[in-house]
Amino acid sequence: MNKNNTTGLVFCMLLCAVLLQLMPVAGGWFLWKPNFLLLVMITWILYFPEQYGIEFSVVVGLMADLLFGSALGYHVFVFSVCGLILISFHRVVVYLQFIHRVTLVFVLVLLIEFLRATLNASLDMPLRLDKIFILAMISSLFWIPLDKLVCNYYLRHK
Amino acid sequence: MLGGGLIKKVFVNSSSAVRKTFFALLAAILLVTLDTYTEVFESSKKSLSEFAIPFQEVANFPNRVKSWVALNTTSRTELERKNASLEKERLILLGQLQRSAELAAENLRLRQLLNATELLMHSVLVTEVIGVSPNPINHHVTVDRGAKDGVYVGQPVLDAEGLMGQVTHVYDNYSTVLLITDLDHALPVQVLRNGLRSIAEGTSDYNEMRLRFVSPTVDIVEGDQLVSSGLGGRFPMGYPVGKVSSITRNPGEKFLDITVTPSAKLDRSRHLLLVFTFEDGGREDR
Repeated sequence: MNKNNTTGLVFCMLLCAVLLQLMPVAGGWFLWKPNFLLLVMITWILYFPEQYGIEFSVVVGLMADLLFGSALGYHVFVFSVCGLILISFHRVVVYLQFIHRVTLVFVLVLLIEFLRATLNASLDMPLRLDKIFILAMISSLFWIPLDKLVCNYYLRHK
Repeated sequence: MLGGGLIKKVFVNSSSAVRKTFFALLAAILLVTLDTYTEVFESSKKSLSEFAIPFQEVANFPNRVKSWVALNTTSRTELERKNASLEKERLILLGQLQRSAELAAENLRLRQLLNATELLMHSVLVTEVIGVSPNPINHHVTVDRGAKDGVYVGQPVLDAEGLMGQVTHVYDNYSTVLLITDLDHALPVQVLRNGLRSIAEGTSDYNEMRLRFVSPTVDIVEGDQLVSSGLGGRFPMGYPVGKVSSITRNPGEKFLDITVTPSAKLDRSRHLLLVFTFEDGGREDR
């Protein structure tokens, strides 16, 4: 598939992800807010790994670093690991049933949050492991519409 | 053999992806190290933060619409009821203000008798929150006043309940405020009841701060009100900071483990006050 066909959609989805990420949420809900940039990255690498590979995860990671105000490279590290996992298994994943894909995203978000917690510990930042399970559940639910959208796109254009 | 071939087809040869990831991870570690221990990216990050402000305004749009709808769909009866309640509240506050003016005058006379310096009067500038940091660990907000309104770095910020934080970055029309609950924030405080001094540190939790270096022998109890002590010259003295919510004495520890609940509604307040003292030229309330 021509990469130009998907660029517009990827750009729109990233823009929406940035806006959703910036949308204010009161107090404790903050900790349950999914990382929308991560979800967009997962979706595109899962379906179009040839076009959107590790380079894409690095770019989205840099965007996340600037958006979250974290140390530059922090999200690049996390997103690159996530990108490698997705690229390694994408051929299996696209043949999985919908519910299994959602479960996979749940496990992936859990893994990423543990990785972030490890990085936080090494950078002397607070650990928030108590909310990770619910965050992973909410993230996988938010991923469903993204999956539907990109899956339809994939089936129409493959 | 067939099974092996299928496995090979299913698990894509990802050696180039592994190589790329390896370089990406190396670059990430280098970036983190440089950004954490040096200031090479500070100026570019500041410029990019300014670029993000319009996005914050757009992201805040649903909140503004919600407020507008709430305001325009309130019934006349509801507005009249609210108006009556506000009028009552205003009368009570005016009564308290008269008492406060008398106390302020008495305080001034006593300070003159002691040859102490006069307390500085403060004026304020009302501002609105237009963006909140999306990172739950970093507690800072963006407000719609900037250098054009005379805002400066280090300026104290309040809400209706107490001290919120201080201005850390100033742009032409916007500023960034670091909240007192941010992990990197520390604030000199004193107990209102007995003047005991300490340092209140942020914990990355909007509802919790910690008091540092309080000896187990000092007089402090749960429910004690904390105010800014004015030490360090950054925050004016006497503004409410929080209330002591719990005190834990850990055997063998040199200091008490004290948690404080902030007075300000750090995660809810939309309208804030930027404080100007006569030291920085003062100004009329707006």
